[in-house]
Amino acid sequence: MSKHNKRIIQEANDQVLQQLTRRHFFKESVTGVGAMALGSFLSGCNWLGSKDGSDLLNSAHPLMPHAPHFVGKAKSVIYLHMAGAPSQLELFDFKPALQQLDGQDCPQSLLEGKKFAFIRGVPKMLGPQAAFKQRGNSGAWISDNLPHLSTVADEISFLKAVQTDQFNHGPAQLLMHTGSARLGRPSIGAWATYGLGSENDNLPGFVVLTSGGNFPDAGKSVWGSGFLPSVYQGVQCRGEGDPVLFVKDPAGMDRDLRKASIDAINEANRATYEEFKDPEIVARIAQYEMAYRMQISVPDVMNINDEPAYIHEMYGTQPGKASFANNVLLARKLVEKGVRYVQLFDWGWDTHGTDERGAVDYGLVNKCRTIDKPITALLLDLKQRGLLDETLVVWGGEFGRTPMQENRDGKKNPFKGRDHHTEAYTIWMAGGGIKKGTSYGETDEIGYSAISGKVTPYDIQATILNQLGFDHEKLIYPFQGRSFRLTDVYGRVINEIVA
Amino acid sequence: MLFVVTEFIGNFHPVLVHLPIGILLFALVLEVLQTNTKYQSVAFAIPITYLTGAIAAILSCITGWLLSNTGEYNESTLNLHRWMGIAVAIVSVIGYYFSVKKQASISKYIAVVLGILLFTTGHFGGTLTHGDGYLTKAFSATNSDTLFVPKPITNAQEALIYKDIIQPIFTEKCIKCHSGSKQKGNLRLDTEEGILKGGKGGAIISVGHAEKSEIFQRVSLDPLNEKHMPPKGKTALTEQERLFLQWWIQTGIGFSKKVKELDQPNSVKLALTALEKNASAAIIPSNIPNELVDKANESLLIDLQKKAVVVLPIAQNSNYLSVNLINLKTLDEKTLSQISDLKKQLIWLKMPAIQLSETAWQKISTLQNLTKLSIEHSNITDKQLQYLSELNQLQYLNLVGTAISSKALLQINGWKKMRQLYLASTHLVTSELIAIQSKYSKTEVDTGGYRVATLVTDTQLVKAPIIKK
Repeated sequence: MSKHNKRIIQEANDQVLQQLTRRHFFKESVTGVGAMALGSFLSGCNWLGSKDGSDLLNSAHPLMPHAPHFVGKAKSVIYLHMAGAPSQLELFDFKPALQQLDGQDCPQSLLEGKKFAFIRGVPKMLGPQAAFKQRGNSGAWISDNLPHLSTVADEISFLKAVQTDQFNHGPAQLLMHTGSARLGRPSIGAWATYGLGSENDNLPGFVVLTSGGNFPDAGKSVWGSGFLPSVYQGVQCRGEGDPVLFVKDPAGMDRDLRKASIDAINEANRATYEEFKDPEIVARIAQYEMAYRMQISVPDVMNINDEPAYIHEMYGTQPGKASFANNVLLARKLVEKGVRYVQLFDWGWDTHGTDERGAVDYGLVNKCRTIDKPITALLLDLKQRGLLDETLVVWGGEFGRTPMQENRDGKKNPFKGRDHHTEAYTIWMAGGGIKKGTSYGETDEIGYSAISGKVTPYDIQATILNQLGFDHEKLIYPFQGRSFRLTDVYGRVINEIVA
Repeated sequence: MLFVVTEFIGNFHPVLVHLPIGILLFALVLEVLQTNTKYQSVAFAIPITYLTGAIAAILSCITGWLLSNTGEYNESTLNLHRWMGIAVAIVSVIGYYFSVKKQASISKYIAVVLGILLFTTGHFGGTLTHGDGYLTKAFSATNSDTLFVPKPITNAQEALIYKDIIQPIFTEKCIKCHSGSKQKGNLRLDTEEGILKGGKGGAIISVGHAEKSEIFQRVSLDPLNEKHMPPKGKTALTEQERLFLQWWIQTGIGFSKKVKELDQPNSVKLALTALEKNASAAIIPSNIPNELVDKANESLLIDLQKKAVVVLPIAQNSNYLSVNLINLKTLDEKTLSQISDLKKQLIWLKMPAIQLSETAWQKISTLQNLTKLSIEHSNITDKQLQYLSELNQLQYLNLVGTAISSKALLQINGWKKMRQLYLASTHLVTSELIAIQSKYSKTEVDTGGYRVATLVTDTQLVKAPIIKK
């Protein structure tokens, strides 16, 4: 420890001591005795459970790479979430029978006992607002809204009968990504990095990129670490300007000085750790060191200017302008650099028909045009780099949309739109050991409810963990006296689409 | 109704049995204690202990008898358990008699006999509920939960419908609870007679009518339904398996028929070809060797990890290793020789953009067990590629963005197991790529260069016509 750092720590200690008074002494003595008693109770409770999931947690190196339970097909995951919930009926779930019913009153049988977010009274049915064709050898139905994706249909496995029980964006997004509609659970990416660690020393294991002008409704909790140590939360990078705020050293601060100050802070933190043994302090130290290395590595990996022209042409990217396309290209770069889990959120898919932007025949079409080319390019680019087999790509929203046209509060909306719908929607997966060119699950003739091959968000999560090499029932973390897992008490690996 | 009541009472057996076990064992303890003069006073409590124990034993016998009538249990074990249980009740009554008579010399021996009877009866009871060998399961190497792997079917039309298709489904999903050792609902699915006989509720199959057959109804329910089989927590039948079961019932549950002798609706035909495909998929060699390998030297691994080499077992249950040099730009001699010390275990090696010397590339070629090698954007040259031709186990090779030429690739002898070869962003021209593709005919050669053409609509916005109000 340098003399200088010693002085800093000494000063920090003196500061703390100055604030302590006689009252602190009495207060601490009382709570201290209580805490000691409680501590002995708690450690007593855990004497059988010491051999549990917390083995994974090495607090000095929380991101140290680990081997999964079994050999996983996928090494990383790119999850493309269309926040707001895209309409499956205009994209993948082709329902010609719904066209016949277009404009007719919705039968009472579909409304009885049901609750919708905005539909009131008796809405009209709304036929598909897009032309569908069967694509590729697999004959997957994809609408003209996604002409590019249609060309790679044979790489994709569709899940046509996903069901959720949340019809509001925030809770539904939380359920999709944390396994609970309420706040407080770790997200899939956090679980994945907790289980696998990070192979790249200079980059976080879990990166989040957002586009579309807004954050997802559920806020940052959808990439939070919940009760897992905070080092596992997603690191959000910006699409414009510095990828991480304040990643650059301020003017006048050189790299050596930065290093020296981080060393001093870490030494002070280490001294505090010796005193209190709180693993969060070690996580903090690791974060400071990671941040220092990230100052070099992140601007480098987040820079798409150096990509060749044909790549920009392929993804439709425009460097310097924040967009979903840029984020998709970044996702590919990050995965190439060994990042485990890249989570993309694109906002603006909530098509109620209250305005032009939210119309299934206008706004939705325009949204599709912003994602179609980049996603297609992503699949092809991963493929040519030999990475598609080990990268799981997931696309979806938080719920589906009704086969009825929304009538907000019983009145006709100015544009054609659909309300939130929990009973059937489409999610697709590709790469990462998923079957190519298949479809699982069916909805009824009008796409109202799932009739076979139903899957839940828990099943999707179980499948993602399975592809990474984890038994979702065994990837656990002890918290508040019991073991928690991503899929709570549910979840089934969707073996029907696993290659 | 009577049957329902008796079954209800019988269900109390598993709770009640613990009373005689505890009480009568305590009688044994008291018997031993009273032989010591210091504790002689406990003799006073012995008769009442025997009495309560005997009453509990008799109640257990009655409830046990009622429970056994449900017929869900293995007959021979059940008989042993039943008569030994009755023996416990009788012996405990005798014990009571002699303890009241204060004939300690006799009641002492009775207590010992009772102790032995209790343990054996208890053990047989345990076998009935938990299955054969439940007690020593933790010690046995082969856990009964190990995955059942059905024999791959290469020619589905020649396969036997029952033996090759239906029976494996039952074996994997049903017989844990419906076979000789445990017959829940009085149903056995491990024998033809059992399947035809059905269970407690009568026949489970209505020949020719899958929808009316209980077995098909029960496996087709919503998995959350209480009546769904296999029950919650067990793996349900897949859609394909249900389809086969349905088809088998529709076509008259043939036990010895071949698949080709039966009518095949389109959906079944598709499923049958899928079966064959799965079989051929299983034949494709996995990139993990079948042979077991010793654990690698732990201290070597730790040493390498300190140098930012990501070295990991490919999974927690394997000793094979993967190495990822993503954090390094080059390899010094020491690190390289440490890595090559792992050559027995090392099967996956990833070195994106690595810059290696001539000798280092030579050394890489000694890693004989490598099945996956990623050296995209590395400094490998034609000459050095020839060294790698010695890697006979290679199945995956990523040469994206390297400076290799087609000549070098065409010269290679070896790589007989190569399945995936990635050549995008090399300087190869189309005609060379075609030559390479024809040389590696069994390999999926990806030459990249994919384009996503820009459509006019890609950058246009659709707008609603403006309507004046």
